[in-house]
Amino acid sequence: MKYLKIEDNKAFFVKDEAQPDDWTEIDKIEKEDLLKLLDYATENDFEMDIYDEAILGHKAHQIIYKSLHEKLNIFLGNKDRFKDQTENIYKEELEKYQ
Amino acid sequence: MKKIDFHIHTVPSISDRHFDFDLESLKEYVELLEIDCIAITNHNLFDKNQYDQITNELAAKVFPGIEIDLEGGHLLLISENENVDDFAAKAQKVSELNTSPSDDISYDELIEIYGELNNYLLIPHYDKKPNIKPTTLEKLGENIFVGEVASLRKFKSCLKELDKLTPVIFSDCRFIENMPSYPTRQTYLDVEEISLNAIKGCLYDKDKVFLSKEEGNDFFQATDDGVMLSTGLNVIVGGRSSGKTYTLDKICDNFDNVKYLRQFSLLQNDKENFKKLVTTRHSLITENYLKEFKDVVYEINDIDLKDNEISLEKYLASLKKFASESDNLDAFSKCALYNETKFIPDNLDNLKKLISATESLIETNEYKDVVNKHITDNILKNLIVELINKHNKIHERNLKKDWCNNLIESIKDSLKFRSTTTTVEEIDFDKIQFEKIKVQKFKQLVKSIQTEKVIDSKEIRGFKVLAKTKKYTGASQLKNKSKSKLSFSKAFNNYENPYKFLISLKNVGIEETEFYKYFVDIDYRTLNKHGYEVSGGERSEFNLLHEISDALKHDLLLIDEPESSFDNIFLKNEVNELIKEIAKEIPVIVVTHNSTIGASINPNQIVFTQKIVNQHNVEYKVFFGHPTSKTLKNANGEEIKNLDVLLNCLEAGEDAYNERNKKSYEILKD
Repeated sequence: MKYLKIEDNKAFFVKDEAQPDDWTEIDKIEKEDLLKLLDYATENDFEMDIYDEAILGHKAHQIIYKSLHEKLNIFLGNKDRFKDQTENIYKEELEKYQ
Repeated sequence: MKKIDFHIHTVPSISDRHFDFDLESLKEYVELLEIDCIAITNHNLFDKNQYDQITNELAAKVFPGIEIDLEGGHLLLISENENVDDFAAKAQKVSELNTSPSDDISYDELIEIYGELNNYLLIPHYDKKPNIKPTTLEKLGENIFVGEVASLRKFKSCLKELDKLTPVIFSDCRFIENMPSYPTRQTYLDVEEISLNAIKGCLYDKDKVFLSKEEGNDFFQATDDGVMLSTGLNVIVGGRSSGKTYTLDKICDNFDNVKYLRQFSLLQNDKENFKKLVTTRHSLITENYLKEFKDVVYEINDIDLKDNEISLEKYLASLKKFASESDNLDAFSKCALYNETKFIPDNLDNLKKLISATESLIETNEYKDVVNKHITDNILKNLIVELINKHNKIHERNLKKDWCNNLIESIKDSLKFRSTTTTVEEIDFDKIQFEKIKVQKFKQLVKSIQTEKVIDSKEIRGFKVLAKTKKYTGASQLKNKSKSKLSFSKAFNNYENPYKFLISLKNVGIEETEFYKYFVDIDYRTLNKHGYEVSGGERSEFNLLHEISDALKHDLLLIDEPESSFDNIFLKNEVNELIKEIAKEIPVIVVTHNSTIGASINPNQIVFTQKIVNQHNVEYKVFFGHPTSKTLKNANGEEIKNLDVLLNCLEAGEDAYNERNKKSYEILKD
């Protein structure tokens, strides 16, 4: 599913994945939204439009989108390792105390 | 038969506590205990003048000796009493090599000083601390055939086991003025003549060493006034204040590592105290059970979710501000590196695990055939090479990333310094999300740990101790746990939310290392054989059985009047059998008035204490002998009728005994 997109020279994000068609402008993003996006990126198939200055004309949106896209990309790039690591968190301990 | 004590201290050394040697005490000791020969063995030194003086004053033969710190253990080296000057000169060399308590000499140094070791008698600390190391014993080779042990039990076990050295037991005593009693730890040798060679010859043979003069190794002298006890089961009887407990105390003082169950000490009327006692006894179970959880709590304690949220907030605010200023960027902030993010190094942990797993597959010997059935060594080797190459490549890239990060950082700093534009805060999504998931798992873990379950169950002679996990139900329980006056009420409000609870524990004032204890309670319940919680009497019984069972960690078990706290049926059914079992391993001495223990337990030795008041003089006498002997004797050879003793002490006299038998019980019979 797509969570970040560029349309009509502006960048948008999904605030709530229960309403995937409800897009919010990127400069309205709050810390709770960001936490949610991280959860989505951890658990789901996370897609986003590639950052492209040519189609994203809005200067402020450019900067915010670029930074978020870059950081989320790094996060997604490590997803396999991240999954491996999180699945192993306290695995042995949970088995012992079950 | 000769009685020897080859381990005697007369000069305090640097590795000793201070004491003032008293020759009179040594003389009295040798006379009272009827010792035939001794060796003076001070730590790493030999005082010739004092040795000469002792030799002149003592009736017994005195060998010159030295206790040497050798490669971390202690070795007694004893010489014939000829050419003492030469012995003193060699000892001086040992002293010069041992100038601090931590010094010791090597085997080579020992050989250099003493040359031919077979001129001496060498006795290493064998089953006694600090033991001579097995590697050193090996080097000493055939010069070692005898070893000093610390207890009667160890003495007997050395005799039984073929590959053990001939055991000897010595006083290792420092003789000072006004000694309350003298040690009875000496060894008898079946030897005619007192010369070092004759003694050495005797010590080659395990059949020639004994704990007692006439009764072999099943008896030993328990007090300096000559009371002989069995290395098995002994019963001490006697009237009120006839010196029973006094004798027991004296035995206790004379030996190390004694388990002494004093009268009434095991009564357990208080339920809470009993619970505490059982919990303390089993604290290792609690510790082991919570070991991993403790580490998790440490880890979670380092996570600050609030701080993570703040950094997210700062990042977004700075990002938005920077974006809003985008039209007015200066030359510095327009640079691409101005807001460049750092590289994140790749984590190599997983790869390292894979490499080590492949290594295990290659190196295993035990299951080699199974592994090779499915995968050849060649394939494994190719795999490990590829994994290592991959590891090295990533590692190299990480180093490069690191180098770039440092460079970026320094350029960014310079740009920021000159620019007036906002900079975007650094943020690590990986870390924030990872810690969030950790806290979620922690909650899951705590929930699982707080679920009620039995984590340990131990059967102890008909009783059962169950350890069960339980949630705490109130702040007062936490307070009790902390054994402090601190207030836990605020923290307990968060008990249902483990992470919040952990944060609030930080404000209570307890040590961080203790946090883990407050998440779950481990409750110990002691059940009787019917599965019910133990009553007051049963608590005491359980205590006695536990303490007696625990006695095998000791070298001697002393019990003072168990009947004063326990009823006969329990003593007969549970305690007597257990005591007999223990007495197969270590000497057991029971003081009693009770016929159930006194006569029917079938002791190996019976001891009778008697107080005789003659006008103004009070005299205590101690008689002893086999339970089936007609008479008991004391050390002076006086005799007393065994039957009278048993009837008077255990049955409240013959008349009472007959009366009870004929009248009380006959009437009740069908």
